[in-house]
Amino acid sequence: MHRFLATAATWWALLGGAILLLIVAVTSWNVGAFALARLGLPAEGLAGYEDAVRLMVSMSALMFLPYCQLRRGHVAVDLFVNALPARTRRGLDRLWLAVMAIAALFLGWWMSVGLVETRIDQTASRILGWPEWPFYAPGILSLMLWAAIAAEQAAGTDDGA
Amino acid sequence: MERELVGIAGLVVFFLLLALRVPVGLAMIGVGIAGNYALSIVAPFLRFEPYLKSFKTLLWSNVANYELSVVPLFVLMGFLASRANLSRDLFEGINALIGRVRGGVAIAAIGACAGFGAVCGSSLATASTMGRVALPELRRLNYAPRLATGSLAAGGTLGILIPPSVALVIYAIIVEASIIEMFQAAVIPGLLAVLFFVGVIALLVRLRPDLAPDTTALEGAERTRAILRLIPVLLLFGAIILGLGFGIFTPTPAAAIGVAAVLLYGFAANAVRPGLTLGGVKSSLLDTAVTAGMIYFILFGAEVLKGFFTRANLPAALADWAGTSGLDPFLVLALMLVILIVLGCFMESLAMILVVVPFFWPALIALNGGDYVTAETAAYGMDNDALRIWFGILALVVVELGLITPPVGLNVFIINALAKDTPMAETFRGVMPFFGVEIVRVGLLLLFPGIVLFLPQLLGG
Repeated sequence: MHRFLATAATWWALLGGAILLLIVAVTSWNVGAFALARLGLPAEGLAGYEDAVRLMVSMSALMFLPYCQLRRGHVAVDLFVNALPARTRRGLDRLWLAVMAIAALFLGWWMSVGLVETRIDQTASRILGWPEWPFYAPGILSLMLWAAIAAEQAAGTDDGA
Repeated sequence: MERELVGIAGLVVFFLLLALRVPVGLAMIGVGIAGNYALSIVAPFLRFEPYLKSFKTLLWSNVANYELSVVPLFVLMGFLASRANLSRDLFEGINALIGRVRGGVAIAAIGACAGFGAVCGSSLATASTMGRVALPELRRLNYAPRLATGSLAAGGTLGILIPPSVALVIYAIIVEASIIEMFQAAVIPGLLAVLFFVGVIALLVRLRPDLAPDTTALEGAERTRAILRLIPVLLLFGAIILGLGFGIFTPTPAAAIGVAAVLLYGFAANAVRPGLTLGGVKSSLLDTAVTAGMIYFILFGAEVLKGFFTRANLPAALADWAGTSGLDPFLVLALMLVILIVLGCFMESLAMILVVVPFFWPALIALNGGDYVTAETAAYGMDNDALRIWFGILALVVVELGLITPPVGLNVFIINALAKDTPMAETFRGVMPFFGVEIVRVGLLLLFPGIVLFLPQLLGG
């Protein structure tokens, strides 16, 4: 189970990273076209660049979250609990991991409701006019995966990597 | 008054949860939601159910933000630059130039921290990257452990101020300042820090020559090669820093082009030395996922927490109180900075800015003379736009101070973990002189706001 979740989170994060690189490519294209247009050459930047970046980064940002959980990357303040015995610390850790799983599920649930409503309302991005609801989907998957990883870490079956 | 009390209770619970090692973002969300529930009981017109429904779109609209897209891009650029060995080129190049001076290798480390910190944007990442690059060299040349670790821990703090800095972007978004103006304002205070740190090293090795032995820095062809490799790095980093500082690029395109440039250069560099590999790109993307995921989660948590405090009327009440208390505005400002230093010792700087600034900022406006005050009648002697910039820079500088404050500064721990044979006390002793000049710098920025405001006024006006 651990291996499956770890692999899924890693590839999901890499996909998020690929979207980030897509932003890099789109921007390079746009800046290049802008520069050429300034030189009087017939080149055109992309319409709705900011809109596209906004939609793309919304996917990337949420797709990073499960992997961040896998690597226990969410910062916490270590200073005060270091004085506690190791067993108490591990207990606290498990408790917060369980709460984290619940929080991710909670956010995922409401985001699913959000997807349905945004679809019914046909909410579209301002400039490109793309429907926004499909961009909710990777986020919901991310939150589910995040919850699963946190729950597994809380149960303590992983090696704490 | 009941609402404000709930707000204060929420704040106390929040810090308690942090002390119990609840992840910062989770503590923010938990207190935000529970706090709103408590508010709906004491003030029934603040209904809980509609609030809960706001979560339908809150998370998505929080991450679907064009201005914030600069954050993962800068983070990625930093990791790529490190994997492409640009950090090493930078240190070795500066070292080849000035390493022969007494203390020169430590000064080179400061210079490299400033350059790399600029493109990296995170103090902790700068400290650990440059620590890995420069520490072995400093030790090989028999620099005193305390000078070696002290310079690197201090040098790591340079990252937060020199543009582009993620913390500056976040601050600008919270107080609705222009990101570019914040970058411009940070340039001179950032350079001042570099100058001070270099001065500290020069003075230390003059007073105690045993701290830094005479070194035989690189010679001949090796030296020329190191200097040649420095040139493209300086061009690349310089273009990003100056381009942003002078407002030639806007942040997101600059970051994206920066990523593209580091990628191309990193792969091209393979022709002459080990550069970027596909594996390096993959691990950079994964490291970015961890850092950016952490930042986005805290940003979202801060949004939830801010919603609670606003509904509890806490920032407005604090501002009212500050505006009518008759307290000396400069005393209040100094007190705020002290609070930031204390919190900065153990709290992640970004989280701290996100939690604290929304409280402090309205109070500062009230103290300054309200929303429509002019520079002539303002208590701080500047209009609110200038105050926004000045306070932001001050806040970030003292947050950094927290990172090297004994006995808890995070940067010191990171460097100490890399220098396994150096006792912690030795590293803290090494950091003390840098801590001293940082206090002087805060004093200067407080007394002469012009140091901060000069560039944005020159370039903006």
